[in-house]
Amino acid sequence: MKFRETVNSGKFVITVEVAPPRGTDYREVISALEPLKGKVDAFNVTDCQRSMVRMSALSMAKLLLDSGYEPVLQMTCRDRNRIALQSELLGAWALGVENLCLMTGDFTTLGDQPDSKPVFDLDSVQLIELARTLNSGKLLNGKELNGKPSFFIGAVHNPFAGPELLQTLKLKKKIEAGARFIQTQPVYELQVAREVHELISSLGAVPLIGLLPIKSLKMANFMKKLNPTSVPSSLVEGLEKASNPALYGWEYTLDLARGVSEFGSGVHFMLVGRVKELADFIDELRNNKGEGN
Amino acid sequence: MVTVKLKPMVEILELLKPYERVFVIGCQLGSGRCKNGGLREAFKVAGYLELHGFKITGVKSPGGTCILERIDAPEKSLIKEAESSSDAILSLACGAGTQLIAENVSIPVITGVNTLFIGVERERKYFDEYCIACGDCVISETGGICPVARCPKSLINGPCGGAIAGKCEVDPSIPCIWYKIESRLKELGSLKSVEKRAPLKDYRSCVYPRRLVLEE
Repeated sequence: MKFRETVNSGKFVITVEVAPPRGTDYREVISALEPLKGKVDAFNVTDCQRSMVRMSALSMAKLLLDSGYEPVLQMTCRDRNRIALQSELLGAWALGVENLCLMTGDFTTLGDQPDSKPVFDLDSVQLIELARTLNSGKLLNGKELNGKPSFFIGAVHNPFAGPELLQTLKLKKKIEAGARFIQTQPVYELQVAREVHELISSLGAVPLIGLLPIKSLKMANFMKKLNPTSVPSSLVEGLEKASNPALYGWEYTLDLARGVSEFGSGVHFMLVGRVKELADFIDELRNNKGEGN
Repeated sequence: MVTVKLKPMVEILELLKPYERVFVIGCQLGSGRCKNGGLREAFKVAGYLELHGFKITGVKSPGGTCILERIDAPEKSLIKEAESSSDAILSLACGAGTQLIAENVSIPVITGVNTLFIGVERERKYFDEYCIACGDCVISETGGICPVARCPKSLINGPCGGAIAGKCEVDPSIPCIWYKIESRLKELGSLKSVEKRAPLKDYRSCVYPRRLVLEE
């Protein structure tokens, strides 16, 4: 079943994030995904995430397709103006990339090429509109396309960012502009997951709750720096007490995923290290839900 | 106002190396207001140059170096005075004023400042950029606060996901401007003005060099 069909079917969705390599050798990245083949519904390919230079997301998405993995192409507004964005999206469709996750993108100065020129010709809402315009067979300037795409469009949401009213309004704008699924920033509490699930569902999109296993106390502190309210003190205490913090953080995430599977539409794993364990866990989850692949 | 920052003296000395007689011109508008290129700074720099062996032929700071009649009035022309007495002019005016001097004299004009931004003195000694002169003003919809100039990503549809605890992720020492916009719009009871999706910006309005032609 294709990703868009899975999402539309109401089946529990599992996506996993894949970062393209820093360099030309992609084989290791792809072979590492082998245990997840046929288990994960789609693989988000990041677009130079955190503004660090990596192989182009579109190239990586095509390489994934060629190896039998369905990609979700992430695209940001950081590096391309509207000419480049339209052109890249048309090329993506021609290469067989059907799913998009569109966002504004991290700022240039936060990455490893801080001296580069930031673009931000459009914002996330406008990029979603742009993709929908292409779907309608037109360019932004109204010119007819010779062959049109039919992208399945998604976007992102950070439940910990503010100000609350305008964040919700922006989420609403994204969904009205054409986002059908929303992948969230990492969540560490079931109650938060439930609230954000309800918010996104009520606005008319399918929420995929972001999960990022915490490997160490250091990483927990880093996450707290990014989103101070996202990491509960109970998780920090657990990591402090654990003889194997990485394992503790991993199991904590799986518990959360089990919890989300009770009421949610899906989860989005943002870090793969324990691919084999994740594959086993997905089997467990699917069996419990009676959705064996 | 246009804000400027005085260049390091070593750089100014290096730029003036080929010359002996130097006329220093500041500006009482932007440069003077932000205390980096007004009369006071012009005298300070002149004194420093004298210490390094330059002959200072004059120090002036007109009320608007970017206004032609302030620097070249028929009865008393500042630039003619500078030109006739000096090998070079050191200008502490913004990039616009400095260029206006340069295109009206035959001697070299050296700049002693870096021109920064259009801003305000938000509180004493703190200058913040408020306007990037994008040519397509949206502040009537955003509570009189500009997200184009005051958000690093110039977001006009609302805050990004990096707006945490009121801070901007690009520089946590500055507030996310969308927090200010939200509270201002709440105060005004006009949140409705940002509910609609903002149209794509037409960047033709800021393709430089821009011109303003007054109609008769």
